[in-house]
Amino acid sequence: MSMKIQADRLAPWAAYLLVGVGALIMLAPFYFMFVFATHSRTEIFSLPPPLFFGDDFLTNLTILTERIPFWRNLGWSLYVALASTALTLLFCSLGGYAFALFEFRFKKLLFGLVMATLLLPSFMNMIPTFMIMDVLGWIDQPRALYIPGAASAFGIFLMRQFVAASIPRDLIEAARMDGCGEIGIYTRIVLPLLKPALGTLGLITFIASWNNFIGPLIVMRSPEMYTLPLALRSLQSPVNTEWGALMAGSAIATLPLIILFILSSRQLISGLTTGAVK
Amino acid sequence: MGQVTLRGIRKSYATVDVIKGIDLAVQEGEFMVFVGPSGCGKSTLLRMIAGLETITAGDLLIDGIRANDQRPADRGAAMVFQSYALYPHMTVAENMGFALKMAGVARKQRDEQVGRAAEVLRLGELLGRYPKELSGGQRQRVAIGRAIVRKPKVFLFDEPLSNLDAALRVNMRIELSRLHKELGTTMIYVTHDQVEAMTLGDRIAVFNQGHVEQLGAPLELYNRPANVFVAGFIGAPRINLIERPPVSGAAIAHQALWTALTSQTSTDAARIGLRPEHLHLAPTGEGIAATIALAEHLGDVSILHLRVDGVSDLLHAKVGANLPRCEAGQSVRLLPDANWALPYDANGRLIE
Ligand SMILES: Nc1ncnc2c1ncn2[C@@H]1O[C@H](COP(=O)(O)OP(=O)(O)O)[C@@H](O)[C@H]1O
Ligand SMILES: [Mg+2]
Repeated sequence: MSMKIQADRLAPWAAYLLVGVGALIMLAPFYFMFVFATHSRTEIFSLPPPLFFGDDFLTNLTILTERIPFWRNLGWSLYVALASTALTLLFCSLGGYAFALFEFRFKKLLFGLVMATLLLPSFMNMIPTFMIMDVLGWIDQPRALYIPGAASAFGIFLMRQFVAASIPRDLIEAARMDGCGEIGIYTRIVLPLLKPALGTLGLITFIASWNNFIGPLIVMRSPEMYTLPLALRSLQSPVNTEWGALMAGSAIATLPLIILFILSSRQLISGLTTGAVK
Repeated sequence: MGQVTLRGIRKSYATVDVIKGIDLAVQEGEFMVFVGPSGCGKSTLLRMIAGLETITAGDLLIDGIRANDQRPADRGAAMVFQSYALYPHMTVAENMGFALKMAGVARKQRDEQVGRAAEVLRLGELLGRYPKELSGGQRQRVAIGRAIVRKPKVFLFDEPLSNLDAALRVNMRIELSRLHKELGTTMIYVTHDQVEAMTLGDRIAVFNQGHVEQLGAPLELYNRPANVFVAGFIGAPRINLIERPPVSGAAIAHQALWTALTSQTSTDAARIGLRPEHLHLAPTGEGIAATIALAEHLGDVSILHLRVDGVSDLLHAKVGANLPRCEAGQSVRLLPDANWALPYDANGRLIE
């Protein structure tokens, strides 16, 4: 009896402990990335390793910018991520809207084909992608990164589901009777109502592009055109890796995502509440 | 302004014919009701007038101009949907002014027109709210307001009251009637509810399986239904349809009932229709013998379900409340009012 009460009381604490340890394990590498970004290579490899922030950040940054065109790479990362997010939102919302509310020939077949592309393992695309980009003369150009993924099957599927669930056909017809053309219906009715889904898809797309390593590896040749993951990887070598500089670069690379997350979580929540109308 | 003429209108989806040739003229300022059982094609026809469905064959004329190929917004029709279809991301005022905005009306004039429509529908305090902050009845009024603001030639309603509770429905019915008188605009109103049809319509078109069974004023349809379908669809409880008794071996009560019913009308009818309120109870000794199978006491009237020897269906009689001997199982005597008997031929058509 008393054993049981004790067990009941202990259970939440055990859960907290478990979650806490898990969180520590997850966050530790993150923390050490920031710490090591402020130490020189020798300090990082001393025993014990530094546990708190040092004062070598600017030195690391100097090394970083000497070894690679870091700010350029950062710029390309941002450019590609923004372009691919914008294009994905445009094409996926259009495609999802059409698949959800329009009737046209071969609709089922076309949607099936779009979905089937989800089944292709991504490594199967690597060589064809390279060959196509090569033929188009897009090697070493950012558009080779944001054009191929501009209408992702996943995005179209997400949008279609959201439109089907939250935009009744009557609404579209009411707008048509009110004098909206097809473009007007899309921009004035569909897009505003899609806001929460656009936020989610935008976030997913931006992060995926920001973290994309394989894509640039295939189509980018010159270091000035590298995006950040590739550029930072090029700092590593079997000998002589500037770990401090690498960590500084990585730390800077995570900042946009952190900012984006802080901004969008608030926007997403408000978007969800204004969108959830019956 | 506001004449809608349908000439041989048809609609087919792939292989199914949904609308099978409708000829109908809605007069200027008229309140026309399309009524019929669910699935008979009323909504489809309304949506063809609105321009939301293509017309397979036939001509649609609005104010004498062929409108088959006009864009919905150019036809001068405004529609009120069953689901209200208010734009969730716009306020009441924005919802109501949207069509004007699309038509390029300046902001100031728009606000003025929205304000006037809001006044007519007593929506003043709600203009700043979003649809999710409104009750069902308020949403309904906003949807009507949105239609009014456009000053259409014709209003199209598709079962606008069916999402409201009973009390609200009665109120909105009255309000719609008032609105029609105030605006004097042509209205076409679709419903499956015959009470709505009877109370609202100047004229009613009764639909069945894609064609019009009868077109006429409410009381005309009620008192002189052109065929047994209309007779059965209009009126509750349902009209009594009594078969002609067989030449030999008819039950005495059945034969007596038939003789009483046909005393004023043609005798070559195959069936006689008689409304429940015209089937009276007679003092003992007179009339036709019947047994009460079920008695429904509604307070003001009682509905009796009666079994008459030889008649296959139960007959309905609407009688005064609190009459003696009106419980299930009791025997009564019936006195039909033959002046109201409606003779139908073997094909179910009224014999004039
Ligand atoms: N897009 C469509 N494809 C095929 N049949 C349809 C379509 N829309 C409606 N129908 C059919 O047309 C008939 C009439 O529908 P509707 O006009 O909605 O009836 P009502 O409004 O009178 O209840 C129904 O039998 C329905 O199944
Ligand atoms: Mg309908």
